[in-house]
Parts: sequence; C-alpha cells; structure tokens
Amino acid sequence: MRFSIPRFWREIPSRYRLKATRCLDCGKINYPPSNVCRYCGSRNVEEYELNHEKAKLLTWTKIHIVPNGFEERKPLIIGIVETIETKTRILVPITDVLENELHEGMLLEPVLRRISEDSESGIIHYAIAYRPVLKG
Amino acid sequence: MRVEEKVGIIGWGAYIPRWRIKASEITRIWGFNPETPRDLMIEEKAVAGRDEDAVTMGWEAARNALLRADIDPREIGAVWFGTESKPYAVKPSATIVAEALGISPKKLATDLEFACRAASEALRISIGVVASDMIKYALVIGSDTAQANPGDVLEYTASSAAASFVIGPSNEAAAVFEASYSYITDTPDFWRRAHVPYPLHGEGFTGEPAYFKHIMNAVKGLFEETGLKPEDFKYAVFHQPNGRFPLTVGRRLGFKPEQIKPGLLTPMIGNSYNASALIGLARILDIASPGDRILVAPFGSGAGSDAYSLVVTDKIVEKRDKAPKVDDYLARKHYIDYAMYSKFRGLIHRIKG
Repeated sequence: MRFSIPRFWREIPSRYRLKATRCLDCGKINYPPSNVCRYCGSRNVEEYELNHEKAKLLTWTKIHIVPNGFEERKPLIIGIVETIETKTRILVPITDVLENELHEGMLLEPVLRRISEDSESGIIHYAIAYRPVLKG
Repeated sequence: MRVEEKVGIIGWGAYIPRWRIKASEITRIWGFNPETPRDLMIEEKAVAGRDEDAVTMGWEAARNALLRADIDPREIGAVWFGTESKPYAVKPSATIVAEALGISPKKLATDLEFACRAASEALRISIGVVASDMIKYALVIGSDTAQANPGDVLEYTASSAAASFVIGPSNEAAAVFEASYSYITDTPDFWRRAHVPYPLHGEGFTGEPAYFKHIMNAVKGLFEETGLKPEDFKYAVFHQPNGRFPLTVGRRLGFKPEQIKPGLLTPMIGNSYNASALIGLARILDIASPGDRILVAPFGSGAGSDAYSLVVTDKIVEKRDKAPKVDDYLARKHYIDYAMYSKFRGLIHRIKG
C-alpha cells in the first residue's frame, strides 16, 4: 500500500461531497476548503458543499502517462469546471464522455466515481467527477 | 390493519450506466449459437465504466430516490445496501454511500447478501422498522456490477445497474404497501465461493426448482393472505434473469404480458441482479397513476422470493419529475466492443502497481 490512509480519510468530505468553505467577509468559495480565505485572508469562513451544483466545462486535458493507481483509467480526461450557482472553479475528472463530445461550455453534473485505487489490496478512492448532464 | 399498510415508498430512483454491449458481440467472441440471445430475450446489456462499481451506481440511484423523497438526508435512519458485487470483501458499502449523501453518522447501516434478493430483504426489514416507529425513513439500495465467467451463457445477461427506495410512513408515500410474503428454501441453483471471481450455476436447475418454485410460492402466499387475484393488479414485476422467465412465471400465475412488459427491462439492460426487479418497479413508478396496484416479486438464488402488493397514491404525480427517470438512462447509451467491455469489467489480468 502506497497511499496515505490518514490523508485520504481527512479529505473524504471534500472528495465525496465537494466540501468547500465560504468566506463570510468577501463571499468567495474556497475549494479545497480552507480555514483562511485565500482571496481576502479572513478567518471568518463557513462550510459549504458544492456537490449539488451543475457546472460548465471551461477547459480540459487528456493525460496518457498516468500516476500509479490510475493505469486502467487512461487516457484520463481532467477538466476545469465552473459551477453554475457560485461560479467556483474546480479541477475534476470528466467521465462518461467520448473525446469528440467534449466542448467548451458543455453542461456537466457531479457524480460519485471510483477515481483510483491503491494496488489490489489497498483503499479504493471515491470522489466526485463531472459528467455531461443526463437531462439538459 | 396489516403492518405493511403503515409504510410506503416515499422516493424511488434508478441508475443505468451509459455503456452497452450487444448480445451479438458476445456471440461473436464466444461462438454461441446465434439463436441463444433470442431464446433469452436479450438484445444488449448495460456495462459499468472503469470508474464505476456497486457503490457509485448505488449512490446515484439513492440520490435520485432522495430527490423524489424531498427530505433532508439527515432524516434517514437506516441505510441498507443489497449487493453481490461489494467493492470491498470486508468494509461496508452502506457507510460510503451514507457519507457521500450527507446522511449523518447516528444511523443503522449495513450491506446485505442474498444473491439477487438482498435489497428485497432490505425492503421487508424497512417495513418492520418504519412500522414500529424505530426510525422514520430507511434508504434501501440494490446495486450490482454482476459478474459472469467469460464465455458462460450468463455473460449475455449479467449487467450493471442500481435501484433505490426511501421507505417511510404511508401518509407521505407515492405508493403504499398492502402486504408482503416471503418464501425461502436451501436450493443450490447459483453460488460463488470465497476467492472465486465468478459465480457458478446449476444449469437447468436455475429454472423450475429455483426461480419458478420460489416466486410462485411467494406470490400464491400473498394471494392467499390478501384474497387478491392477478386481475386486481395493473402491473406485475418479477425478478428478470432473462427476458423470458418473467413472462413465463407471470403466465403461470395468471398475469397477462401487458401487465408485465412495462416493468421488463432485461431485454434492454440485462440482469442487474439486486436491481433486476427493483429497477422494473422504479420504471413502473415513473409511469403509474394514482390507484394502480403493483405486484413486485424479486428472487434471489440460494433461494428465496418476496411478493409485495403496492397501491399508488396521488403523491406520485408531484414526485415523478423531481429526478431522472429510468427511460432517461435507457436513452443515454453508447455501444462498446468486447475488448472495451473486458477492460471496463476488469476481465483482463494485469499486475497492478
């Protein structure tokens, strides 16, 4: 087993539910969550979950040489998406899509997926990925 | 008043992966008789992608059920996950789904195993704990990435999908339970031993002494207890290991094909094991009208069957459009060949880093 179990465990809320923080002073969403707002430096933040928000695809890339644990998923399509309601930009895997279907601005929705796994015997890493919306 | 009448389905949801493999592609690879898919009444089956498993599919079906239930996930008092394709041999799937759906920690949660019938057993357990006021809402999930030995006739049908139901008090329900009846015996029709990757089945033994005997006894038991007859039901959904068995068992019990076909999904998606009959029920709830009576009879090898009678209420109308329907998932499909199917389902052996 190569991956840190405590780190995965700590990240479960932001991996499974896109837990972020919202700054109560400047209103910006911080993802990954942070106790200090990275836009204004305020420590006055509250928890906010992004996993109900659809998003637009801003840009993407295709990765052919992948890290350990991702071999069976290559080529990986990783995108930067902007959520519709809070305009939060997040880096996520894009799934259930063919390469020729990808286009800028396509509407996506969050789904829980099996992102990687630690060898045959280690922990399975679940997290939110985005896929084209089922219904416009 | 029967215990069941206090309880109903508050929300329902389904999930079918995007990927499909045609039965003719399996024929091409393994040299089966080209007539075999027609005998099984199977055209194609749904295949989970490389980043999907019973947990991720169950999560989406449950999310859809919660949207229709329109309740705060923190109000769910129990999560029961029925599967025979657990991602971990030891470590519950129910806790992963509960965490990902924001269902708070002070809950009952467990995975159940009874071949294809585990999620149905979870429905009966839910009726008990909700009727007794032990909890208000239970979340039942049936989800499988069904395995089949490559080249086995089972490979035509073993597919991937999920169904989920929020069970709660009948005054909030889209469909209220009227009665339920279970019938189990020790029958060696289908099994998988520990550390063996694929299940084995007793060939012809899976039909008469297993599927037909248990479903017919469960449904007849329900009829005897309630006085209901086949003509009292608008719809009937049976476990669907292939397209043919549900029509045959229905005919023997006195049901007409028109009552069965709306809930018969196996010809289009295959047999999704724990979701097999329950995704059929989800599709019926997508189209049913208030007052319709529905018979549901899942079956699990080993073997057992439960028969349920449900009556649809007015609330179904307002809930129906709150989440994607089974037909939305049926329409979203892309065909893959056997090579891609092998990669997606982990049939190719490699040394993992």
